[in-house]
Amino acid sequence: MSDVKKKPGVCVPWEEKVKEYEKIMGDEKVAKKVWEETDDLAYQYIWFILTLL
Amino acid sequence: MSEEMEKLYEERLERYVTAMRNGKPDRIPVRPFVAEFVAKYAGFTVQEATHDADKALEAVRICAKDFEWDAVVGNMIFVWTGMADAIGLKYYTMPGIDASPDDAFQYVEPQNEEEAYMKADEYDHLIADPTGFLATVWMPRVSKDLSKAGEPSSYRSNMAWLKGGLAMLTYYQKLGDQGGLLKTECGTVSAIAGALKAPCDILADKLRGYRQLSADMYRRPEKVVAACEALMPHMKYNALAGSDPDKNVPITVWLHRGCAPFMSYQAYEKFYWPTLKQIIEEIWAEGHQVLFYAEGNWDRNLKYTAELPDKSIIYHVDRGDIFQVHKHVGRKFCLSGGIPNDLLTYGTPDQVRERCKAVIDGVAKDGGYVMDAGAIIQQDAKVENVKALTEFTLEYGAY
Repeated sequence: MSDVKKKPGVCVPWEEKVKEYEKIMGDEKVAKKVWEETDDLAYQYIWFILTLL
Repeated sequence: MSEEMEKLYEERLERYVTAMRNGKPDRIPVRPFVAEFVAKYAGFTVQEATHDADKALEAVRICAKDFEWDAVVGNMIFVWTGMADAIGLKYYTMPGIDASPDDAFQYVEPQNEEEAYMKADEYDHLIADPTGFLATVWMPRVSKDLSKAGEPSSYRSNMAWLKGGLAMLTYYQKLGDQGGLLKTECGTVSAIAGALKAPCDILADKLRGYRQLSADMYRRPEKVVAACEALMPHMKYNALAGSDPDKNVPITVWLHRGCAPFMSYQAYEKFYWPTLKQIIEEIWAEGHQVLFYAEGNWDRNLKYTAELPDKSIIYHVDRGDIFQVHKHVGRKFCLSGGIPNDLLTYGTPDQVRERCKAVIDGVAKDGGYVMDAGAIIQQDAKVENVKALTEFTLEYGAY
């Protein structure tokens, strides 16, 4: 079980993911935004199956 | 889109929204929740429309155009069994596969602890990490193909995850397109956007099974309450994620087994109502109405429903007494439904017209009513009866 509390819309929190990088050389905001957008798709997929399928 | 079609669409949208806000439009809007009925009307088998979503979507548009409905759901055959099959879901019978091609899909609920998709000792995992529990425990358990946590992954497992995800994206795209096509080809409004379930229903339907949940309410009540509270923010988030950005059409809550006598008032007050009420209030605070789709007979729970803010819901009547519902909450909320489905199946067009007249006279004199059957309309409904419901309302329902 992850030790980071997952909010709605989150499967793998950015705070957990970002620890995997030694250093982000460019703009962290870009990486965070896109990670969270695709993460939300996975989240919606799982919850769609639970609630609607 | 032609100017004429655009005008028709705007008229219908105005009519539908005015009624849902408990106002008096120019005419009672007709918004039937037509499911497998559309397949029958369009000449498809139930299997074709359930398993091939393109056929279902086409059938809805054929019906919307022919019947001249004000609003309709883009696809009310809400389980696309093609996607269920891609994931390997165990809990549906599928028309044409393990059921007759002319029967509707059927949910098969766990009947005992052994079959339950969430075990009694797994509440803490669900409460601590709902999404993680679903992804690692629940999904592999409800699928024939997904590998369980700790097992080596398999080709079929990887494919099931991949195919399911891609299928959902494809389906969402099709549904988005359907909204546009209903508007431009038929002048018809997409009736709802966004779906909600009561947290307690989710526990009963998909996780524990109703029988197991009933025992849990006595054996581990604090866990049931905590699980409902843990699910609540996710239910709200997902409902809003699919909602109408213009806030015209409602999010629908499909209510299953909260009403008496499924639950006692004490159980309803403790387990079912607090989280559902909070979600609806929060959704309303963000400007969205909720279609309170009260499946079965919710009359005995009206005192709770009446606690909701004025206009926050559209109260849909299935097997309840719509005249009693109107008496109790008609000033607060728009009503819909109240035409029994068995009448559409076994009755005559004259009997359908008679019932529609009684409902219109009884609850819709001052507006605040949307014409619909009590429950979703399936393949058993007679075409001539659905026509009678529609044509009578188009004429007699004018203010």
